[in-house]
Amino acid sequence: MEQPISVQQRRRGFRITYQTALFSLLVFLIALFGVLQPVFFAPDVLFNVTAIIGEIGIMALAMTFIITTGGIDLSVGYNLQLCAVIFGSVYTSSHNLTLAILLSVATGILCGFLNGIIISRTRIPPLVTTLATMSLFRGVSMIVAGTNTYSGFPDGFKQISTINLFDVIPIQFIYFIVLFAVFNLFYSRGRLGRNLKGIGFNENALIFSGIDTKRNLLFIYTLSGLMCALAALIYLGRLSAATTSMGNDLNLQVVTAVVLGGTSIMGGIGSVTGTFIGVLIIGVLRKGFTLLNFSGNIFNFTLGVMLIVALIVFAWLEERKKTAGRKSK
Amino acid sequence: MKKRITLTREFILGLIVLAFMIFLALTTQFATRNGLFSMMLDVSPTILGAIALSLVIFTGNIDISAGTILGFVSYTAGELAILGAPIWLFAPAAFVVGVLLSGLNGYITVRFKVPSIVVTLAMNMVHLGFYATFLHNSGWLENLGDNFTWFGRGQVFGIIPFIFIVSIAVAALFMFIMKFSKFGKSVYAVGGNRQAAIYAGINPDGTVIKVFLVEGLLLGIAGTLKAVTRSDVLPSSFQGREMTYIAAAIVGGVNIMGGSGKLLGAVFGALLVYLLSTAMIYLGFQDYFQYALQGIIILVAVFITVTDFSAWRKKRPTVIARRGEN
Repeated sequence: MEQPISVQQRRRGFRITYQTALFSLLVFLIALFGVLQPVFFAPDVLFNVTAIIGEIGIMALAMTFIITTGGIDLSVGYNLQLCAVIFGSVYTSSHNLTLAILLSVATGILCGFLNGIIISRTRIPPLVTTLATMSLFRGVSMIVAGTNTYSGFPDGFKQISTINLFDVIPIQFIYFIVLFAVFNLFYSRGRLGRNLKGIGFNENALIFSGIDTKRNLLFIYTLSGLMCALAALIYLGRLSAATTSMGNDLNLQVVTAVVLGGTSIMGGIGSVTGTFIGVLIIGVLRKGFTLLNFSGNIFNFTLGVMLIVALIVFAWLEERKKTAGRKSK
Repeated sequence: MKKRITLTREFILGLIVLAFMIFLALTTQFATRNGLFSMMLDVSPTILGAIALSLVIFTGNIDISAGTILGFVSYTAGELAILGAPIWLFAPAAFVVGVLLSGLNGYITVRFKVPSIVVTLAMNMVHLGFYATFLHNSGWLENLGDNFTWFGRGQVFGIIPFIFIVSIAVAALFMFIMKFSKFGKSVYAVGGNRQAAIYAGINPDGTVIKVFLVEGLLLGIAGTLKAVTRSDVLPSSFQGREMTYIAAAIVGGVNIMGGSGKLLGAVFGALLVYLLSTAMIYLGFQDYFQYALQGIIILVAVFITVTDFSAWRKKRPTVIARRGEN
């Protein structure tokens, strides 16, 4: 009986240190960019960081749920693109904002549902499913939009991501924080979060204890689709033009944020708070690189390296934890 | 009991490919010299790529960065050719680049026990960022001379390209290796049941690394063959090729869970994927329909390979045993 408790304690202690390290990295990056480019410390620049991460953050919250179950959703970037393109084309042809928003959200949910139904009802692994649907969504959004650029959305729509609270805090950050609070509640307190971690550790055990894991899986992939649609709307409010080039590299940013936040890619362990910090780190990097006049390619390059390093560090810590357990026995 | 050859998946796949070719020949300009020549030209790298990805998938891994590795390979070949290197010099150098990059993927996957899909997804971005950041003009090379393109344009009997002969020879070699060598058996064993492979005295980590190295070699050959058919090289244009290769492998009956499938199937899969996209072009569909088609092909093919249809009929409760495993 002692062993599980001590494992639990060690894990809890470990998790705190990992998140503290992550938070230190965030502070360090802010300080670094501040020293290199003093304008970084200006309040509107700092708060702009929280505006540009709105869409990544929202998608990363759902992705945390998915990765906790040992799955992955590679289709998020193109799902967002498809939602944006559907919104653009519906609005351009009908000039009906409500209809456009509804159809866009429905598209996102449908795409997520497609992923979810395939993953939960068949034995196709999540990574293959979403790799294939990624290609599918990309194709569909290109068929819908072709080379068109949809723009000229009404100001009322743009306000969903351009107004600032108290003149400084971007509204996206408020959405992100509210959703973060909800997701965190469900993840750490609710039955859903416990089931998700269980699926990540040992799905068969959950099935045998009578839990409908299929329903849970279907729910989180559909949720991810919904989040993609919301993210698409927020993104559109900021960019005000929908093309088939948006969202191309968001997959990697979202996965990086989640993995950086300490959610194990093998499933079972995770933290929504970690994802929150991971998203902030990505935002700071992106803003900092923009201020230093680095191109988006350098950002992607750094992100890729960071993801690999995060994976390696995490694997190393896991390994150390295991050997520490062996020694104490 | 030995299976009758007419009942194997590969035989049926071959028949489908043949039927497709006859259909195309009857309805379009496919059966002309140009149609056949461009088919052999285009399908040669795809055959090798499909074999490379099949090997990786046999072990239960996957490589999303294969397309961008091809970019590095072709850039290396092109740059050396500009410096005046003949083919026997730039081709091996390009192979080495492929082996190194793929070996890095394999090393990180095995050493740190992280799923190859995430490693190669990150590598995909690293490679793309590398082209754009560190290579002059994003690695775009043009006006490559005859010392680069003579091999790609060469042909036997005025119809069979050199590169087709090379790729068929390499494919045959690998089919032989996978069927008869100890290495081939151990690849299937590791992918099929890792624990059983360990008990049988196979080093699974070593096998996976070897497979990644071999994959790199095959990608090196595929990238060089693809590059020498044109007089310009743009590394980022290879992004997304891996989806075609994965589709080809899966259509050819390679099980995405690892452990089963045949390279002959992958070769037919490559032909079938090529014929499908050619047919779409002949039928007047836009280029981007192929993304959607590829996604659907992969989903349907994977569904057929991984589903236990006998369990459906008998209404046995399905217990998912291998989701998320790598």
